[in-house]
Amino acid sequence: MTKFKRNEIEECSTSEGFNKEFAVVNPTKMCQPMGAVQAMMGVKNAMPLIHGSQGCATYMRFQLIRHYREPIEVASTSLNEKTVIYGGEPNLLKALKNISEKQNPDIIGVMSSCLTETIGDDVDGIIKKFEDANIGKNLPAMVSIPTPSYAGSHVEGYDKAILSLIKYFARESVPNNKVNIILGNLSPSNLVEIKNIMKDLNVEPILLTDTSENLDAPLNEKALKLHEFGTSLDELRDTANSKATISITKHNDSGAKYLEKKFSIRSISKSMPIGIRNTDIFIKNVCKVMDLDIPKKIIRDRGRLADVLVDAHAYNYRRKVAIFGDVDMVIAIARFTYEMGMMPKVLCVGAESPRFREDLNELINDMGYKPIILENKDLFDFEKVLESNPVDILIGNAYGASIANKFNIPLFRIGFPIFDRIGTQRIKFIGYTGGIEFVDAITNMILDFYYDDEGYKVEDKELSFDPQSFDEYLFESSAK
Amino acid sequence: MKEECVVRKNNIIKQDSTNSITKPIIDTFKSRESHMCVKSGSLSLPQCDTPGVPGTVTQRTCVFGGARIVLMPITDALHLVHGPIGCAACTWDIRGSKSSESKLYKQGCSSDLNEKDIVFGGEKKLYDSIIDLYKLHDPGAIFVYATCVSGVIGDDIKSVCRQAEKVTGCRVIPVESEGFQNHNKTKGHWIGCDALLDYVIGTSPYENPSRYDVNIVGEFNVAGDLWGIRPLLEYLGLNIITAITGDSKVEDIAKAHYGKLNIVQCQKSSNYLAKKMEKKYGTPSLKVNFFGISSTINSITDIVEFFDDDEMKVRANILIENMTKNLDEELKEYKDRLKGKTVALYAGGNKSWSLVRAFEELGMEVVLSGTKNGMKEDYERIMEVVKVGTVVVDDANSTELMKLLKKYKPDLLISGAKEKYIALKLKIGFCDFNHDRISAFAGFKGFLEFAREVDAAVSTTVWDVVKIDLKT
Repeated sequence: MTKFKRNEIEECSTSEGFNKEFAVVNPTKMCQPMGAVQAMMGVKNAMPLIHGSQGCATYMRFQLIRHYREPIEVASTSLNEKTVIYGGEPNLLKALKNISEKQNPDIIGVMSSCLTETIGDDVDGIIKKFEDANIGKNLPAMVSIPTPSYAGSHVEGYDKAILSLIKYFARESVPNNKVNIILGNLSPSNLVEIKNIMKDLNVEPILLTDTSENLDAPLNEKALKLHEFGTSLDELRDTANSKATISITKHNDSGAKYLEKKFSIRSISKSMPIGIRNTDIFIKNVCKVMDLDIPKKIIRDRGRLADVLVDAHAYNYRRKVAIFGDVDMVIAIARFTYEMGMMPKVLCVGAESPRFREDLNELINDMGYKPIILENKDLFDFEKVLESNPVDILIGNAYGASIANKFNIPLFRIGFPIFDRIGTQRIKFIGYTGGIEFVDAITNMILDFYYDDEGYKVEDKELSFDPQSFDEYLFESSAK
Repeated sequence: MKEECVVRKNNIIKQDSTNSITKPIIDTFKSRESHMCVKSGSLSLPQCDTPGVPGTVTQRTCVFGGARIVLMPITDALHLVHGPIGCAACTWDIRGSKSSESKLYKQGCSSDLNEKDIVFGGEKKLYDSIIDLYKLHDPGAIFVYATCVSGVIGDDIKSVCRQAEKVTGCRVIPVESEGFQNHNKTKGHWIGCDALLDYVIGTSPYENPSRYDVNIVGEFNVAGDLWGIRPLLEYLGLNIITAITGDSKVEDIAKAHYGKLNIVQCQKSSNYLAKKMEKKYGTPSLKVNFFGISSTINSITDIVEFFDDDEMKVRANILIENMTKNLDEELKEYKDRLKGKTVALYAGGNKSWSLVRAFEELGMEVVLSGTKNGMKEDYERIMEVVKVGTVVVDDANSTELMKLLKKYKPDLLISGAKEKYIALKLKIGFCDFNHDRISAFAGFKGFLEFAREVDAAVSTTVWDVVKIDLKT
């Protein structure tokens, strides 16, 4: 038992100005297996398996299902008390056997959990044992993805899944003239946008991983089977033969670095292609790698984004914005709102990251002021900051709804999870075309909220005439 | 439609009478076949309460989840999850329980255990987190939940809670809910109930007790259900000390032992608590069911019978007469459309039997009923109420559920968020009866709302349109 401070009793009274140090209240992050599951959703014919208690698989499915409004399949090794004492090996072996026999996927992605990492289950060893016992049988590829839930967050989980997949599959053969693109947990529509850009550039990508069809499935019972679309094992193998790997979420580039080190595949890790500047960087990078000229269509789309920025600027100018969510998204959206003429005022992320700070410093230099930054903070801290730093718009996931409500400001929903609106598959902000949709949607939201039905600005408080304060004002100025 | 229904029913019976033992209901694991059966003349029950099959997509959850959903509706309490961030991040504010006052329970609190804590122990961090939360919110209580990892690393949450309680003067209550403890989440419900029995109930005095003081046990105010039940009981002249735990406050639960009767709504999660209170305080309990008209009437009648009070009898009669006066007329529109439609129930234990009668009142037929964590007595109750030919299923995983729905093609599935899109992708109507539903279904008014939602799920024009084949 830990020793406690003697004078704790005197200290312990509830206090208004108190800032918490230890507890997390209303988290802005999830745990590693969640990120890995998100990555596995984009692998073709795959079965994700969480080696842990039933609740891990079930609650993660619950979050994913209510966000995407699609059936989501994540298997569990269903550990219980006995298995915790004697180790989870028998359950993992049974799970591998059952999935291989009944579901017959191309690949099983085995995520560990806090429980199995702590009791020290050797997932790689158990997989090996299973394979050795079944030599000659046509088994799925079984990839161990170590995701101890007590370290990092879902962002690291996604990164580790991509790294594990690449490490397991990547094989050098003939150069393929493709570009690997590491995506991160983005909406299907955002992925479609990436695909469209690559089509416009006439470059074939290997997407890591491609959830665009799987998580936006038509009304068809095929959606209840293993995912028939997504990144195939052949594509995963072929990542070692691409021209380069571009990570559009910087924090997910471990796989890219591995390919660079092992197979000398160039790794480019830049901000998400959101808005003019960051999309420019992405397009230029692809063109440089593939030695291409920028095609006319892309220039036209860029021109359209520029056009809508101009069309919308008067409504957006100096609107104060607060953004929360995953590091890569928050910083890229912050820059985009700045490009729109808004003022990013408060940024809150669940992780601590030097690379986030790098991007941030660049943004601060361009903006000429420093927003309030909450790193490794939660929505409680965020709300507290907003109390003394009012903003006009909140940007983030559904957990922001009560905060927006409290301050009577609109919430623009992006990120994960969003369970109180439909159409999360179609949320789009990537690339020039995605940017256009984003500007349209957020500007219209501003028009709805801050303008009346005739299109006039709803009067600000300081413009309204309050006789008493006006008298006071006159009195004060005459006294001077 | 009616014809189709009869045909379907015959199929079920045929299958049952010819080869109920040799031929499994659906193709699945050998060990799972005995978990499904068809009600026939004989008294067969599905096998139940066994560990899940590793490698399946289970619809079950963990013991921690079970404890948390029992306690989460206590509105002025904070619920601190002592574990890595995911346990809290995936489960905060998911209960769908409404509050008439405090919103404190909606906060998602975690001690956010990280690598260092796993190595050196998380007790100090837990203690500091409790103190933090106390200073921020001054809650009615802080419930501290053990998770898989806090259990494995051996954190003594009981002792930390004791210490923190001494220092803060606030109730700090350990909930020993290590997730892996059992395959059955019901164990978690019990652990949640134990926390209330050991640390809350019986700890506060109650002024002006009367012989009409009651508790409503096992009602969690999902979507406001309690608010459909409460006025009915109050009209009868009952004084509700507290609900356990819907829209409740810690101090009120602390007085629950003054209740002269425990009215038990969800018998799956809360019979345990009622039984223990009976033993400890001599509080008798009465099983009720406020889903459906006749069930609601029966529940009211049973309560009145218990109190054996003439005035209450008169009031009950007035209440029932008034509440049901226009009900048939208002229900007619829905019943016309729903007549003969079939339903599959795959929800929490209690709903798998308590809703059967309610659907009959709508003219619908339950063709399948199942639970994820049912025990023998739960299946016995299901068997009592369902018709011969009904399929009864234990712990169906997502593949099995899909196969069952494909085979029996009900018009409606009643279940929770995880099952929703399995039904919808099969073009089967769906109605949420778990935490994600948006309307209160309990009591007379609730039943009308229930009929409306069932009608929306089954009768929408959307089904006609989406079933049109482009190529024909």
